[in-house]
Amino acid sequence: MNVLIVEDYKELATELVDYLSKNGYLCKAVTTCEDAQEEIAVNDYDAMLLDLGLPDGSGFDVLKAVRKSKSKIAVIVITARGELDDKINGLELGADDYLTKPFALTELGARLFAVIRRIHGFTANELNIHGFTIQLQDYKVSFEENPIALTKKEFDIFQYLALNKNRVITRLQLTEHVWGDVLEINSDSNFIDVHVRNLRKKLAAFSKLDWFETVRNVGYRINI
Amino acid sequence: MKIKHQLAVFNLLTRLLIIVVLWFSLPVLVQKVVYSHIDKSILEKKQKFIQHLDNEEINDFMSRNDSTETYASFSTLHNEFLQLYRAKDNFVKDKSSFINERRVIEEEENDYRVLYYNFTYENTKYVLEIGNSLSEINDLTFSIRFFTTGLLFIIVLITFLADTFFIEYLLKPFYKIINTKIRHVDEPNGFNYTEINTHSTDFKELDLVLNQMMFRINDLFQKEKQFIGNVSHELLTPISLLKNRFENLLQNESINDEGIDKIASSLRTLDVLKKVINNLLLISKIDNNQFANNEHISIKEIISEILEDFEDRIEEKQITISNEVADDFNFLGNSTLIRIMLYNLLLNAIKYNIEKGKITLATHFSADHYLLTISDTGKGMTEAQQSTIFERFTRISIEQEGQGLGLAIVDSIAKFHHIELNVNSKIDVGTTFTVQFPVEVTKKS
Repeated sequence: MNVLIVEDYKELATELVDYLSKNGYLCKAVTTCEDAQEEIAVNDYDAMLLDLGLPDGSGFDVLKAVRKSKSKIAVIVITARGELDDKINGLELGADDYLTKPFALTELGARLFAVIRRIHGFTANELNIHGFTIQLQDYKVSFEENPIALTKKEFDIFQYLALNKNRVITRLQLTEHVWGDVLEINSDSNFIDVHVRNLRKKLAAFSKLDWFETVRNVGYRINI
Repeated sequence: MKIKHQLAVFNLLTRLLIIVVLWFSLPVLVQKVVYSHIDKSILEKKQKFIQHLDNEEINDFMSRNDSTETYASFSTLHNEFLQLYRAKDNFVKDKSSFINERRVIEEEENDYRVLYYNFTYENTKYVLEIGNSLSEINDLTFSIRFFTTGLLFIIVLITFLADTFFIEYLLKPFYKIINTKIRHVDEPNGFNYTEINTHSTDFKELDLVLNQMMFRINDLFQKEKQFIGNVSHELLTPISLLKNRFENLLQNESINDEGIDKIASSLRTLDVLKKVINNLLLISKIDNNQFANNEHISIKEIISEILEDFEDRIEEKQITISNEVADDFNFLGNSTLIRIMLYNLLLNAIKYNIEKGKITLATHFSADHYLLTISDTGKGMTEAQQSTIFERFTRISIEQEGQGLGLAIVDSIAKFHHIELNVNSKIDVGTTFTVQFPVEVTKKS
């Protein structure tokens, strides 16, 4: 899977490349509108992370050019502006998703996965974790054909941890994923623990959960 | 009072003053003019009489009435008379004086203007009296007074109307400036720069200055908007970098537990930083009217959505929610903002409530308002605390978490939507927030 990162802040681009490479993506980072358009014209990319504030223009120009070319590339706009106008504008011009800086890398991973899956119509709608099957589209979880009744929040947590397997996911990341980007400062993430506890209880009824790890003081990790 | 009305009243008063002054001073003036006129003609007659005076004539006068040694002659209508007699005492040579007197002449009483003139002729002292009737003059004064006053009234009326219309015409550009430029301008973007058509340089200048001022304000407004955008970009991008770097570090197997703890704690600090910036940005954006407010919002729906979000907190504190939101209300505004406002109010009601406390939500419709009250059974606040809660970075107590921005945001959102907020709190009893939505906003839709 090829991903083009258009971000003028080089250090940030490096972190994105670092994360995405570890998740099996092939990444290329450019810093200007011009380079971005050239890359898209020359190479075949599955997805693009597009920053809006670029030194030689707005990321929207790149987005417009991409959509004109009828390319099937999935575009996720990332920007610090977070302005409502930009959000509407971006989605109207054909961005597939939108992330405001600062965002969690795991959130980016989950969105990227969802966007690429949607655009390319992948059949791989299932994640298999130690005998558990997560049906991404239908919000269902089963263990060897036995359906497990999970709440929406429990499903979200399980899916998020599974998608970011082998990574420590902090409580904050989980909170933001489940409840969205709330403005509340020090939003108490202990509620995540309650839901994780309930989730583990439900899963433990079917199998041993030594792969579902609690990282002390930090968060959780699903190992495969 | 409008300027044109003030000017009209002023005009009216000054004119009335002129009429009153004329009414009282006119008779005096007329009298003065008439007397000087009469005096002049009497003096002329006297001159004539003295010039033609000789012994024969004196004797002729005197002989007619020897007993009194007085000569008198009257015109037929008794409006003039002439009298000559020998002076007795108090004689001063060549002294002449005018006196108004009442005289009876041939059984007819009249007011006269009389000249007394002392003179000597061939060593004999004489007094000459020449009189002129005043009755006609009095009639004349009265009619002049009456006529002039009538004329004045007409002139005053005409000039008053003319003035009023002219003032109205003169001030028209001024009211136009007020109506098109100053009133109904909510934000600098909506300012109308078209020149006002006027011949008065004052208004031209006012218009010009207003335009220039609004241009500057608009410019500053745009710059502030840009500044906010730039600050958010410049601050949030580095935060983004740090956050992502720490997240990547977290996956590094070689870091020990202590290191992991520190990284996680740094991530939490970054999250606080991010949220403080986002909250401040939100407040500035609301205060700068950078939100559209034309969405139809069901208050009832939003409240039940928020309560669903708070399920965990409510359960944890075992708070009873008494949701008496009966009437639905469709408000026209920005749904994201209204949601944030109600979210913050409900969050406070939960956060500062006691264990097993209660939250009551109630609504009430009045003629022009929709009232929503959110009451908790928390620790409450003192009057002094209540007065500052809507200010930025205010915290009620030291142990309170958060940055004290929640209610500042609530306040900004309320002002943006012309919603009235009231707080009523008693220590150890609880706090009630009253949110008063204006109804006319909905009717407009």
